[in-house]
Amino acid sequence: MVKSSEPRISKRPIWSGRVTIGLVNVPVKLFTMIFDKSVSFRFLHKQDGQPLKYERVCIKEDKVVPWEDIVKGYEVAKNQFVVFEKEELKAARPESDQRIRIDKFVDFLSVDPIYLDKSYVLTPDKSEDAYSLLLNALHGMGKAGVGRITLRTKEYPVLVHVYKGALVMTTLRYAYEVADPSKLEELKDLKEPDKGQLTLAEKIVSDLSGDFDITEYEDTYKEKVDELIEKKLKGETIVVTKPVKEEAKELMVALQETLKQLKKK
Amino acid sequence: MPSDLTKVELSNLDKILYPELKITKGQIIEYYIKIAPKMLDLLANRPLVLTRFPNGIDKEGFYEKDAPMGTPSWVKTTKRFSETANRTINYVVCNDLDTLIWIANLASIEVHMTLGQVNSFEKPDLVFFDIDPEPPTSFDNVVEVALLVKEKLQSLGLKSYVKTSGKKGLHVVLPIIPKYSFRQTREFVHQIGKHLASESPLVVSQFSRTKQPGTIFVDYLQNSHGKTMICPYSLRATSEATVSTPLDWHNVKKGLKPDKLNIFTVPKSEKNPWENLTKNRQKLEVN
Repeated sequence: MVKSSEPRISKRPIWSGRVTIGLVNVPVKLFTMIFDKSVSFRFLHKQDGQPLKYERVCIKEDKVVPWEDIVKGYEVAKNQFVVFEKEELKAARPESDQRIRIDKFVDFLSVDPIYLDKSYVLTPDKSEDAYSLLLNALHGMGKAGVGRITLRTKEYPVLVHVYKGALVMTTLRYAYEVADPSKLEELKDLKEPDKGQLTLAEKIVSDLSGDFDITEYEDTYKEKVDELIEKKLKGETIVVTKPVKEEAKELMVALQETLKQLKKK
Repeated sequence: MPSDLTKVELSNLDKILYPELKITKGQIIEYYIKIAPKMLDLLANRPLVLTRFPNGIDKEGFYEKDAPMGTPSWVKTTKRFSETANRTINYVVCNDLDTLIWIANLASIEVHMTLGQVNSFEKPDLVFFDIDPEPPTSFDNVVEVALLVKEKLQSLGLKSYVKTSGKKGLHVVLPIIPKYSFRQTREFVHQIGKHLASESPLVVSQFSRTKQPGTIFVDYLQNSHGKTMICPYSLRATSEATVSTPLDWHNVKKGLKPDKLNIFTVPKSEKNPWENLTKNRQKLEVN
């Protein structure tokens, strides 16, 4: 079966440490819980069906460069680089202190989803009591902790919140990574809508209102590709049918008409 | 494209090829599909030369004498030596609807055909009177000369057919039994032209005098090995998207407006004035 089932959380944590709130510590393990399920393909050599490998080739010498001869360059202007050795960058890295430092608590719903990036599930590490305490307090009050973590080489702002009976840590985007749409010219002088029209619009919105349910949306492209993979595995040939575009439809009508006439001859 | 209707992979249907009228390649293909029931019989078994305008009629087009690279294997082609080109050409032959659609999809707005068929390439089965006016002549004058040609042929017991060139002239065509050489058909047309020139001050029968303003040349020179005529029902690369349109002789009269015979109007006509052309091959009385 190629059909993908619900993703499962791995048994191996990607990080372990503790959530620190002032002097209180909650030891936790961190697991990946977001899985990119979009269809991905590998490039193969058409003639023999073998996978291709990628090599780092110097564009001047046209030769593969071994890892030990590779340094990082920051492109300051087109084709002008500032070169860094590994050690230089390492020294600038934030020290990972195995902590998720919580600075304050906010109403969970006050955090704009724009800032949410990637979520990880937290599980208790040895002490379940402290974990349960934090989980229940946040759940009861509808709050989330805002703080920061150093994951590998990067420091992230994070939100610690509750999702389906678990503590979840979601990394946040920095303010400088998010553009401010209110500066758009097109939005500066929007007209006040007509009252009657607004009432109508609001009626449409309330008529179509419902509960949010993400399972109502399915990845139809992925489903089709999965189906094709099944067929290919069974050795069936796949007929490529292109969708008929709107302007081609008229052509097809004319074509059918002409074919009919030619048949009569 | 649904493969049960056509083998052709249609492409760039939105591309505008007649910029003034904003006619797209899709509309051109549609035209050729609609006209196919009348056109296909007239094209059958004839080596074709395409004039392609991939970037529209106001950009340079090109004659495609040889079947282009990537011609699908189901498109019929035939290799023939052309004296006009002085080399062997791999001509496209269009005997079915799919081939005609394929031709149109190449942005071949104009389709030209040789006067001899695949199996009688050296012996033409069409005699071609190209009535070609030199400005300033009115189209009424062209009509007048075409009628003179028709009457002259009629007096010899020959039934001729007429179509607009899609440009400034008229084409009179005589279907014949393919047993005469191009030299003979050419000479025949030249003789008729000379006769008419002696009777009408409008008509010129000598190539050297064709650029005389206000005259009409009955062009006999097209009756040559490998030369072509614009196909009946072919579109022309004119700003009005005109069609080289077969007509009944009784409609060839003063006031005829060839510009009104175009991509939009011609498919609406129920008539097929050239329907019996290929069944009416005649003997040519050569002087």
